[in-house]
Amino acid sequence: MTTKPVAAEGLVREFGEIRAVDGIDLEVYTGEIFAFLGPNGAGKSTTVRMLVTLLRPTAGVARVAGFDVVAESTAVRRSIGVALQDAAIDPLMTGNELLHLQAILHGLGSKAADARRGELLARVGLTAAADRRVGTYSGGMRRRLDLALALIHRPTVLFLDEPTTGLDPTSRQAVWEEVRTLNDEGTTVFLTTQYLEEADQLAGRIAIIDDGRIVREGDPETLKDQVGDPTLRIEVADAAMCDIAAAVLAGFGDARPARAGRLAIGLRGGAANLAAVVRALDDQGVPVGHVELDSPSLDDVFADATGRRLEGAAVDAS
Amino acid sequence: MASASTEVSRSRPRVAIEQVWALTVRSTLATWRNPANWIPGVVFPLVLAAVYSAQFADATSLPAFPEVDSFLQFVLPASILQGIAFNASNAGSDMATDIETGFFDRLIASPVARQSILIGRLGGAAVAAGAQAIILMVVFLAFGAPVKSGPAGAAAIVVISVLIAVALSGFGLTVALRTGSAEATQAMFPLIFVVIFISSAFFPAALMRGWYQSAAEANPFTLIVNPTRDLVITGWSWADFGQAVGVTGLVAVFSLSLAYRAYLSRLAMA
Repeated sequence: MTTKPVAAEGLVREFGEIRAVDGIDLEVYTGEIFAFLGPNGAGKSTTVRMLVTLLRPTAGVARVAGFDVVAESTAVRRSIGVALQDAAIDPLMTGNELLHLQAILHGLGSKAADARRGELLARVGLTAAADRRVGTYSGGMRRRLDLALALIHRPTVLFLDEPTTGLDPTSRQAVWEEVRTLNDEGTTVFLTTQYLEEADQLAGRIAIIDDGRIVREGDPETLKDQVGDPTLRIEVADAAMCDIAAAVLAGFGDARPARAGRLAIGLRGGAANLAAVVRALDDQGVPVGHVELDSPSLDDVFADATGRRLEGAAVDAS
Repeated sequence: MASASTEVSRSRPRVAIEQVWALTVRSTLATWRNPANWIPGVVFPLVLAAVYSAQFADATSLPAFPEVDSFLQFVLPASILQGIAFNASNAGSDMATDIETGFFDRLIASPVARQSILIGRLGGAAVAAGAQAIILMVVFLAFGAPVKSGPAGAAAIVVISVLIAVALSGFGLTVALRTGSAEATQAMFPLIFVVIFISSAFFPAALMRGWYQSAAEANPFTLIVNPTRDLVITGWSWADFGQAVGVTGLVAVFSLSLAYRAYLSRLAMA
């Protein structure tokens, strides 16, 4: 357990009667990007807050960078970089001032702080904006500054809590590129996300969390393969025919969770049976508005594990 | 694996001093860059002093009124106290804002010494109060209300002002850390103004009557303002300086104890 950058056993956090994190075991390996995927309220941020020493676990143990998060919390803080949700940055300070402050908080001397902040500003493309107050920055610029702040002391483990939530696609891509580069340079990254694409694009391994418990864990391809058959989704043009359509589809595979107005099954036999399904629906007079056949996605993995679709999946897919 | 990334080979006290200084600078910049935070604390006491001086100019000839050049000179310590009370709310409300926005989490997720975060906030309040006292004394001097104890007395008043700011900030920080709400913290400060008015800050307690006089005489602000006023209207006195510093120091110890307990309790919530 001590050799893993992040390791937890039976991690629990309760808030009064609510058990936000319910016995999580996890291990993150050196040099990987590990994604914690789940909907809002699943327990992602609470878990991260325990791992970065901002919350005490109610039960269980966790070690980060080899240090116990409760007994050796200062050593943990020296070893990790943290960019929490919402990029909490003082809007009255400039990028330069914030980086200087962060460097001093991590025990760097002024000279080292000055050298490091210049390097980081260039890295995240904020050199030109360094003397502007952060209140004038766009959301993407704030996120990039947040990332630079998390890196000021060259952490061995980087925690990113929903690093691209609320960002436009271009800014999101920029953050992803930076995360990949950091990882290539040897930084172990632990990120939480509610975006399927983000987890799929970045992570070497994923843990899916729901209601405070890890419901699936593994590399994305293996997780998808475990789901099995591709998902067939149809939209019935006449809502009154939905029950008939569902009965027809039941002959071709097991029902899967679908958004309102749609039906979904795991299509046995895959694409080879698609024509047969369409014919069967047509024979029953079901007007089909839309048909799509998808290879298993992380959303399917989530649905398979929880019986629900991941919130934001539709937005993510667009 | 068990090795911290940032090896702090520099001495701990030096690192702690640098952290306190950096946080004090941040707190001071936050006040300076938000004029709404400091302008009322300078302008409002001046306006009130001008109004009172016009209203009560003849009160200085009442038998029990202290020997003063003008009413303006009499209210100089009260004006400074009032200005500091305005600005002292900033330490608490800025701390609450840090909690609300998550910046507080950023601070405590770093290996900074825990006490530095509180001391940095108080440092910002102290710098603002010192500057405020100097500005008000200069303006009062320009309008013919000098500090009779000279530069030493003026320096003493700056010291007393800094201590008052620290003491009042302690109450603001307590509310901020207990509630995590900037609104709740701001809402507490009108109470301090009420307590200032029930003191000898704007009128000698000797000219008051009944319960109001008793309350004013027992009010800690009276015990701070009276000796400070003596430095302004009479001249230098170690006894006056000692009393003002001593009483303010006691209030500061009390308020900071509350703030520190609230701080530990907030950290324990984590």
